[in-house]
Amino acid sequence: MNFPVEAMADLPEEHKASFLQQLEHMQVRDSLRLYNALVERCFKDCVSDFRSKNLAKDEEKCVQKCCEKFMNVSARTGMRFQEFFTEMEKQAAEAAKQASKKR
Amino acid sequence: MAMAATELEYRVELLNRMVASCHDKCSAKPYKEGVLSVGESSCVDRCAAKYWQVVAIVGQLLGSAK
Repeated sequence: MNFPVEAMADLPEEHKASFLQQLEHMQVRDSLRLYNALVERCFKDCVSDFRSKNLAKDEEKCVQKCCEKFMNVSARTGMRFQEFFTEMEKQAAEAAKQASKKR
Repeated sequence: MAMAATELEYRVELLNRMVASCHDKCSAKPYKEGVLSVGESSCVDRCAAKYWQVVAIVGQLLGSAK
């Protein structure tokens, strides 16, 4: 999970420390949320045989593939997301520059 | 400062929902393997692009409907 840290550069020193702390807290929270979401997703998709208390071999393999696949999708989506955001910010900066020129 | 944190939380939430939606729409189930196939990769790229367009449209509509 890559957080936009560039925005932080403009903040005054005393705010940077508290922002970093908040950021860390948010990252922990996001990791835990991801953990729960992924477990639920893979359980729903892979586990359906309740004749035994233990996971069957194929259920175990399915969970592993499920996690791997989700992480891959997450990574690729994150990449595109970052691209869009950078593009959007570039366009916004351009628009702002144009607007200030006209004044 | 609080605004920056809220904005950041919004971005994180947006990304999480984008990932979840694209995974639901693009991942072949039952899971054959962990690596993304070429089809799945293209699907994810297009899914992200469309999701972004929806974000823009909804943003516009919400902004104008006051």
